[in-house]
Formats: sequence, C-alpha cells, structure tokens
Amino acid sequence: MLRLLCVVIGVASCPGLLLGADGLAVFPREVHVGPLNPQQPLWVGPQEGGHCTGDATTKATYRSLDPQVATVDEIGIVRPVADGQTHIEVQLGEQTSKIPVTVQGTKEPARIRFTADVLAILTHAGCNSGACHGALAGKGGMKLSLRGYDPEADHLVLTRQALGRRIDLVHPEQSLFLLKPLGQVKHGGGKRLEADLPEYELLLQWLKQGAIGPQLDEPKVVRLAIYPPHLRLQPEAELRVIVQAVYNNGQVRDVTRWCKFSSSEDAVATVMEENRVQVKGHGEAAISAWFDNHIANCGIRVPFAHPPVTLPVAGEAVAGVYHNRIDGPINQKLMDLRLKPSPLCSDEEFIRRAYLDAIGTLPTLPEQERFLKETAPDKRAKLIDALLSRPEYIDFWTYKWSDLLLVSSRKLPQKAIWSFHQFIRQSVAQNVGWDRFARSILTAQGSNLDNGAVNFFLLHKDVAQRAETTSVTFLGMSIGCARCHNHPLEKWTQDQYWQFANLFSRVGLFNGDRGGEVIAKALPSGEVLHLRRGIPMPPTPLDGEALPLDSTMDRRTALADWLTAPANPYFAKAIINRVWRHLMGRGLVEPEDDLRLSNPASHPELLADLEKEFIQSGHDVKALIRAIMNSAAYQRSASALPENAADDRFYTRFLVKRLSAEVLLDVYTQLTLVPTPFNQVHSGGTGGVEGTADYPLGMRAIQLPDTKVVSYFLDAFGRPEREVACACERLEEATVTQALHLSNGETLNQKLRDPNSLISRWQEQKTPAADIVDQLYRSALCRAPTAKEKEQLMELLQKEPPEQRRELLEDLVWAVLTSREFLFNR
Amino acid sequence: MFRFDAHRSVHFCDGSSRRDFLHAGALSVLGLTLPKFLTLQAAAREQDKPAADNDINCILLFLVGGPSQLDTWDPKPDAPAEVRGPFRPIATKVPGIQITEIFPKMAAHMDKISLIRSVYHTATAVHDTGHQMMQTGRLFQGGIEHPHMGCVLGHLKGQRGEVPAHVLMPRPIGRTGGNLPHGQNAGYLGKSFDPFILNADPSDPKFKVPDLLPPDYISAQRLDRRQKLREAVDGAMKTFEASPQAQQMDDNFSLAYRLMTNPQARSAFQLDAEPNPLRDRYGRTRFGQCCLLARRLVERGVRFVTINMFETVFDEITWDIHGSRPFTDIQEMSRLVAPNFDQAYSALLEDLQVRGLLEKTMVIAMGEFGRTPKINPAGGRDHHPGVWTVLMGGGPIQGGRVIGESDEIGAYPKARPISPAEVAATVYHGLGLDPHQELRGPQNRPIPLVDYSVQPIRDLF
Repeated sequence: MLRLLCVVIGVASCPGLLLGADGLAVFPREVHVGPLNPQQPLWVGPQEGGHCTGDATTKATYRSLDPQVATVDEIGIVRPVADGQTHIEVQLGEQTSKIPVTVQGTKEPARIRFTADVLAILTHAGCNSGACHGALAGKGGMKLSLRGYDPEADHLVLTRQALGRRIDLVHPEQSLFLLKPLGQVKHGGGKRLEADLPEYELLLQWLKQGAIGPQLDEPKVVRLAIYPPHLRLQPEAELRVIVQAVYNNGQVRDVTRWCKFSSSEDAVATVMEENRVQVKGHGEAAISAWFDNHIANCGIRVPFAHPPVTLPVAGEAVAGVYHNRIDGPINQKLMDLRLKPSPLCSDEEFIRRAYLDAIGTLPTLPEQERFLKETAPDKRAKLIDALLSRPEYIDFWTYKWSDLLLVSSRKLPQKAIWSFHQFIRQSVAQNVGWDRFARSILTAQGSNLDNGAVNFFLLHKDVAQRAETTSVTFLGMSIGCARCHNHPLEKWTQDQYWQFANLFSRVGLFNGDRGGEVIAKALPSGEVLHLRRGIPMPPTPLDGEALPLDSTMDRRTALADWLTAPANPYFAKAIINRVWRHLMGRGLVEPEDDLRLSNPASHPELLADLEKEFIQSGHDVKALIRAIMNSAAYQRSASALPENAADDRFYTRFLVKRLSAEVLLDVYTQLTLVPTPFNQVHSGGTGGVEGTADYPLGMRAIQLPDTKVVSYFLDAFGRPEREVACACERLEEATVTQALHLSNGETLNQKLRDPNSLISRWQEQKTPAADIVDQLYRSALCRAPTAKEKEQLMELLQKEPPEQRRELLEDLVWAVLTSREFLFNR
Repeated sequence: MFRFDAHRSVHFCDGSSRRDFLHAGALSVLGLTLPKFLTLQAAAREQDKPAADNDINCILLFLVGGPSQLDTWDPKPDAPAEVRGPFRPIATKVPGIQITEIFPKMAAHMDKISLIRSVYHTATAVHDTGHQMMQTGRLFQGGIEHPHMGCVLGHLKGQRGEVPAHVLMPRPIGRTGGNLPHGQNAGYLGKSFDPFILNADPSDPKFKVPDLLPPDYISAQRLDRRQKLREAVDGAMKTFEASPQAQQMDDNFSLAYRLMTNPQARSAFQLDAEPNPLRDRYGRTRFGQCCLLARRLVERGVRFVTINMFETVFDEITWDIHGSRPFTDIQEMSRLVAPNFDQAYSALLEDLQVRGLLEKTMVIAMGEFGRTPKINPAGGRDHHPGVWTVLMGGGPIQGGRVIGESDEIGAYPKARPISPAEVAATVYHGLGLDPHQELRGPQNRPIPLVDYSVQPIRDLF
C-alpha cells in the first residue's frame, strides 16, 4: 500500500521524468533502499521519440533533498541513512527531474537470507562456477553446487562439512568463509571479495545472525527489470545498464553487480565488462542480464547511415510495399533502421520461387505460360491458393515434418516408418490444426502400426529424452542443460526439468502380435526420479500448474492441454518461426529452434501478431503459409539495392536459398526426365547396405519416408540424418563436395547420358537449336535467355558437327543445371 | 572414377590418355583463352613436388576424446595407485623426460618433440568447449563463429598452387553430446576458407576421394566447355552479388575445377603411390594412413592438415575413457588406441625428418581436455579440463623440452599454466604469423588471432 502510494506521488509530483516523447529519462523511477538494498545506482540519459539516445549518468548532477534520509554520490548511487522518504534531484544540462526515495528497515538489522543473498553473492563472485568450487569434483576439497542450484547441500558444505571449520560463529570475522576469499588466508582462487564493499557486509551479517540455512519462506525473484529497457544509439556509443530484481514479497533491489551480461549480436553491441556495453555496428542487438535464473533484455537499435525511409504500416494494400498485415511490423522496422526495401520481384521470379517453396517442384512450361498470360491483379494470390491444394504440397510438407519428428529406420522397423509417415501425411492432407497434430502425437495410444503417432514414443524410449525432444520439436527450445543443473543461460531450473520430464513417465510399451508391432498404453503408475534429489517431482508443464503425484489421469493429457493452450508462450511461435524461416530464408528467431528469452526475435511484434492470428485460425499451418507468401516481404526481388546491401536479417530483399538436397534431386529428375532409383538402404547400426524394393522407380526424393535410403547425392547436399531433434542437422551451405559431385559424380552425369533423357528426345525429334535453348532456359530458370546468351549458344550449337551434338547438348544442360541461378531459389 | 595408379597410362573414352588430357586442356574451346592454372602444368609432374616456399606447415593430430594425462605423457609414479594408474613410466631418448610404457616407439623420438604438461581450461567440461578452444584458441560466445587455425592460415597465406590450403581428414568430428562441435571450419572468414574435407578412409583398400576426378566419358575438351558454358549462363544474373551463399557456390565450382584438372592436386591424394613398407610403417589403420596422406599432402603444398583421430566418442574405442559402455576403459585404450597412435605418430616424425620436411612442418598432437586424476569405479577416468599434456614438434619448435608442470596427482597446473589460447598463439607464432594480427570479423569488426594479452610460449622456440 505504501509502495503504491509512492508511485502515485512520484508520478504526480514529477511528471517530466516519465518516458514521454522527448526529455530526460531517469531510472528507476522510484528508489527503495535499506539494509537489503544498500545502494541503488540511477541511470540518466536524454530521450527522443520514446527512445533513450545515450547514457549521461556520469554527466548528470545529483542532490538529495534530505541527506538525513538518503544520500546520493556524484555518479548517482543512492544510499540509505535513516527510515523516511525524500527525493533525489537529477539535473542534466537544462533539464531536471525528481526521483522519490523510500528508506526502510534501518532501525533493525534485516535478516540475511541464504539463497537470496549469500548464494547470489557467491555465484557472482564465481565461487560456485564450473572452474572453481562448482566443478563436479569441487576444488581444494570444497564442493558447491554449480551456480547454486542446490542450496541445502551448499549450506551443509559451508557450515557443517570439514568439522564446521569454515565458519566461526563466535568470531564471525575470523571465519575461513570470509578470510579465504578476502585473500587473508591462502586461497587457490585468489582474492574474490573486498572488505569495503556491501557484499562483505552482507556475508558477515549472515554469520552474525547464526548462518541460517535456506528457508521455505525466502523471497524468490519473480522478474528482473533492466534499465534503460531500450535505446537508439550510434556506433561507438558506450553505456552502462542497471538491473533490479523484483521479489515475490514485493522487495526490489539492485542486482547489477551480481548479473551476468551477454549480447545477442556482438557485431552490433558488445559487452565489454560487467555491465558496460559498446556499440560496434548497425542493426539491432539485445543485451541480456542473467541473475538467479531470470533474464531481462535491453534492446539496442543502431540505425543505418542511409536517408530516412517512408513506408506504409497499415491500411490499403500498396503493391510491392504493403500487401497484408505482415508487412506492417516489417516496414516499421525498416523505417526505424533506415533500410530501403528492394522492389517487387517479376512474375517469372515469383512463379519459380512460389513453386519451389510451397511444393518443392518447378513449374512446367504450360503452367508458366498460363500464369504469365493471366492479367488478374490477384493472380499471385490465386497461384498460391492453387499450389497449396496440389498433391505435391502434401509430399513436400510431409517430408518437412518427418524431418522434425525424426522418422527414420535407424530405430524403427520398416512397417513402423510407413505407419508414422502415413500419419503425418494424412495430417498434412487434411490440414489438421497444429495443436491437434501435436496432441495426437503426445497422447498417442494403441498399435504403432495402426496409429503411426505411437512411434514417437518408440523413437524416444528414455523419459528424459522424451521431454527434451518434445521441447525442441514443439516449443523450439532446448532444455537439456537443466537435466543435470539449472540452465546456465535460461530460466529453467533442474527442478522444473524433472517436473516436466515426469509428465512422460507413464507410458507403457508392449510387444504386439504382428512383426514390428508395439502397443503404447497410458499406465496408472510410474515415476521418473529427479537426478539429484532421487525423488519423483510433481508432474508439471514448464511454468505450468502441477498435477498431484497421486492423480491417475493420463499425464500426457495434461501435457497436451498445456502445450496447445492459447496461453502457451512457445508452442505457436515455434511452428510459426519454422514456417517463416522456410519461406523467408531467415527465422524471426535464429537458429529456428532456439527460442529463449536471451535470444529475442528480430520482430517481436510481428511474431506476436502472427501468433494471435495463427491461434485464431485454429493453428492452421496452410493459412500461415498463405499469409506469408502473399506478403510484400516475401515477394521482393532478391537483388540488393545500395541502401540494403548490408542487411541480411530485416527482409529488405528476398534472401536466396540453396535448393535442398531432396528438391534438387527431384528437379533434376523432373527436367531430365530420368528418375532416380532408390533401391538400397543403410541397414541397422552396422553401417551395412542392403537392397530394397520398397521404393518403386519414379518415386520422388520428397516422397521417401526414410533417411536411411542410400543416396550419396542427398548426403552431399545435406539431407539430415534424423537422429537428433535439431534443425542444425540439415546442411544448408554450399560445399566443394557438392561442386565435385555435380561435376564428376554419377548422379547428374548419368541422368544426362541416359538414353531416355530429355536430350535423347530432342535428338529424336530433331528439335531446332533455338527451341532447345528457349525450352531449357524457361523450364529450368523460368526465364527466356537474353539475346546475348541466345546468340552465343546458337552459334555454338549450329557450328558443332552432328555426331558431337549429343555431348554438346549434355554439356549445355549440365551448365544450366549447375549454374547458381539454377541451384538457388531466388 | 578416381585413379591413383601413376604408372599406368589411363585412357579416356575418346582415346586420349591421361597425359593427353593435361595437354588437351590447353586447346582453346569456344575461342576462349587458357585457364590460368594450366600455365603451372609444366612444373607439375607426377613425382613429388616440394612446397614452393619456406613457409611453415602444420599437421594437427586431434586426439578426439581427450587422452588421460596420467596414463600417457605425464606419469606420476609416486602418486597413490588409484591416481597413477596401471602403467609404468619409461625413459625416453631425452634424459629426464619420462612417459608411460604404452608409447615405446615415440619414446625414441622425444628429442624431436616437446611436452606442454600444464595445459588447462576453465570452461564447461564437455568435449565441444575443448574442441573449439583448442582449434580456434577461443570459447564461442556472442554468436561469433571463430575460425579454425588452419583456415586462418589459408585465409592469410592463400593456397600453394592448386591444392587446398587446409585439408581435414577423414571427416569432421561428429556430435559428442549436443550439437555438432564448433571450431572445425572457417567461421566468420567465410565458407571459401573452410577445410577441404577428405570424406573417405585412406586405410580402405578401395580408398578414393569421392568425385575428385571426372568420369571417363568427360574429356578435357568437354570439361573446359562445361566451365565456359556455366560461366556464360551465370553471367546474366546480378541477383547473386549480394548473396555470400551464392558466391560460395561459385567459388566451390572453381576450386573443384582446379582440383580435378591439376596434376599436383591429383597426385597429392594418390596414396597408393606410397611404397607398401612405408604404408605398413604408419600402420594400416585409419589414423595411420591419414598421417601418411598428411605427409604426402604437405609435401605437395598443403599448408595445414587436421587429422581427427576419431569421428565421435560413442561406440568407438577412443581416448574418452569413462570406463562404462559406450565408452572405453583405461586398459582398452592402452591396447587399442595407444599403439595406433604410437606407431603412426613415430612414423610421421621419422618420415618427415628423412625427407627434410620436419624442419618446416610443425606436428601437434592434442586432445580437448585431460581426465580426472582419480580412477572411477568403472575403471576409467572422466572429463577433466584441469590439466593435460599437449605435444609439439617440428618446424621452429625445439624438441626435448618440457613446458609447465602439473601438481603431484596431475590434477591442476603446478607451474606455468598454459591456456588453449596460448597454445593457439604458439601455433600461429610457429607458422610465422603475428598472433595479434587482426582479422575482419562480422561487420568488419577487427578480431585479433588471439586476444592481445595472450602470448606464445616463447621457450619452445
């Protein structure tokens, strides 16, 4: 109540200090100091248009209106004197601001808490880091839990272990616990503590109060606040940020000195030391502060040195600039950063791009002609609709989700792969909502041969692995670190990990009657034990409501309910980001399956908008694809302008993408008319190869249900092995191996030489050279050859003696099919 | 269709021989001029071609898994049994330097190499951190992918003739836990400085580098014509100028073309031209034959060769001696891993010296961390980056020295702790590079090879 009052007074008495359009920004906007927050630094800077534009904390002057209550030093650090209220007056140039200060708790010494205070200090000093006492074996005979994830054990070690020699409650100052880090007694880790800093005082107080261990009612951090929350800066600028922790008992205190800082984009802004940040380049970066498994981000924007740009962000569609709501946030960012987008791509470029992205196929010549002739203004939208109802759409996206779900014969029998593949295929064909899709997998029951989704549980038999895979697959987030200790960079604790894992512990797998058949059943009992505590944890979704341990409902139902609920902060974003990256060439979050607080999205507002629409649409993946493909951002030319050449992440132009292994192999088949045989598979774990008749000639690579099908081509071009849930499994880069294989390998060369190839057909039909060149360019590159190209090639074709003609044609087709224009979707 | 037999004239379908093939390349096709590389042809013979300059080369033997310091090159005979382990120390050619009995062959070469017995790191004790720090000198943070030392060398010195500057064999290190290990490629320098990856096992009787040479039916004329046609098709498009990935594809094609047309390059990979007794001396293992191929490559101009002794730490007998399955215990390591290393490593040192290559080729053998001093209940030792030993020799590195010292139980450095960055600085210094020379990182940010505060180990030179 008192605190609330302060806020109201603060606002009423000094309206100028709040974030308005322009003026002086001062953080925090109210100060609470006392024994548990013995010093609170202020942050001061000018602001324009709602953004802080620089750090002027050391240039400002400060004055306490009542030094009997609180003092402030020349760099803006407020310290308590006696209980009461006052104000700090801040002056920067002409501008002034007043900050209300409340001092509380000075009359009686505050109780120092073990977890909230003592461990926080030890963690910041690095005492329990992996390099020191936090190592698995400890250090110098003392072992603490890594970064304090096990307070009970740490308390025991510090106060009881080694015959209690580490602390001396009679002469607290003489405790080894203090003397060692002070460097007054030989300490392998050197000096870690300064006697004249508040940390020492807190540790000493804790000893004086009896070195009390962790208590159940200790306040817990509920969130961090970083100041300033966002800035707009120029290269070379330097600043410091400050961080406050807010506890569940309402306490707020400065934890800047105890935080770990990192930058999401070192090339834009780098953390120099502690909380000092330097701007290095243009673009955007987030500075993350980590304390006690909580994270706060400070956004730094550094506009490019180009002229201002004006773009629509709402309202009527403007061709090439604003097509739908996706373009609003994209355009806003381009204006903020002064980046000019490339113009709309041509219809020829669009049809090739859309076909490859939506169905992994090239448009045929008649399809191209029809589209190019069409005059309706919404012809691109119509084309997108048509593509999304093609059978190849089902093949292509089934393949993509099979990557995601790791469908492979490495661990599954052949019948099971087909069943799993069929399950995914049906879901894609019926455009089942992504929420229902995830639910049917995670709650799958029955025979793996009848219900393909059951195979998810066969692939991941280990309970912890189920939890980790589910997290990466459906939440785009890796929680693996927390298996053994609190996640070092994320908010997830080891307790949360094992609570989450316990949701997967009641699935029984029983052999069925048929070969390769396994029956999955929900079991009424069964627990997974916490790795460290050795007890079952109440099954709890991440940040969700715990189920009672004795509840007999299928825990997976609770999991699926939580996972697919509209309020789940990760589920919808994860799939949106995957689809976005597939189409746009760069995820809103990169890497695509690394959604973390400390790895923020490039366009958080857009991701939030898309999430809302996606959930409203019933988790409709096809609608999402449609919306993205219709946006101006998707339909831009891939050619750079001078004003956007330096950009690769704000969607100023279409980012070219190398055709994926499977698509490339398929379009080689499509164009040469020579199918790829898939007649061998890698068998078992032995590395052997055996023949298979499962895949009839003519089957496309994107129709394969298994990645164990032998294909050097697919491996060289980066087909994922589908062993670990990670988008990084697929190699997207161009390598020398690929170039060598296209040049010397048997895949493309044999297709060109085949007696039934397109080239043979040309020869038989005596197709005129002019038609050949035309056809080849149009079918492979979706454009006509330029006059110069045509002239050059015609001359060559007519000059060559007829008996050399076939080889020449092979070489011509080879050249077109290995050109970068062909190998990339542009 | 990769042929290694140098003594047989290989015929193409069009009747020309392999030697004709080289000359045919000189024919002007499409009225275009000779590619630059063919001017080198006169100098290129099927025999050994020494490196053209006096730059120092490097062969890096990466002992994937992390050898135990106590059971290998830093024995502690006076430590308690559960620490010192089962192996006795033996004398070496250098008085005063002892290693364990599992390396009898390399003991005879101790005058050629020095031991750094106090290497340590303080990052998380997982394979990946060690892999990245030992190969790049840095821990990966802030989204910057630092380049492998061999890629830095290639970037700064370029390739010699038409062979790649940096060859990695047999394959990159696979997953050792989480993601693929970092630090094995050119990182922010760009893909064009990535190592050339062998992707084949040289101990395989049918060993060939996949797709290195064109098939019989593609004559030299056709090969040349294909390049010209491809250039003609690509000439029209301006779209790709801003795309590093597309530029990369082009660079790859030209590198591939040079690789397959240049005799120096082709001969470099021709392992079966090496006499059988020598192949036996290296050991007919994957690692042994990689070492032999590395010598052959360095002889023909490759600047840096990285050999990963293992591709993974799972389901293979490696240095990763946790004891329990799927890992190895100490005994299995000594029976299967150590002799393989001992034989190949000693053969490599010998062979390089005989050919006069040792003085311009550094040979470095290192793992990603050491092992816990106390043997665990499964009869193994676990990850321990507290201290381990790195082996350096050749080039300007003086042999027969010991740098640093570990404590009584081989747990931590006792004297002269050496960080991975110092090891990298030493490699750079040995290669004749200024370790504080700046590279251009993302967005042109200057990044020194190693941090300014890090110095090479000067008493190795």
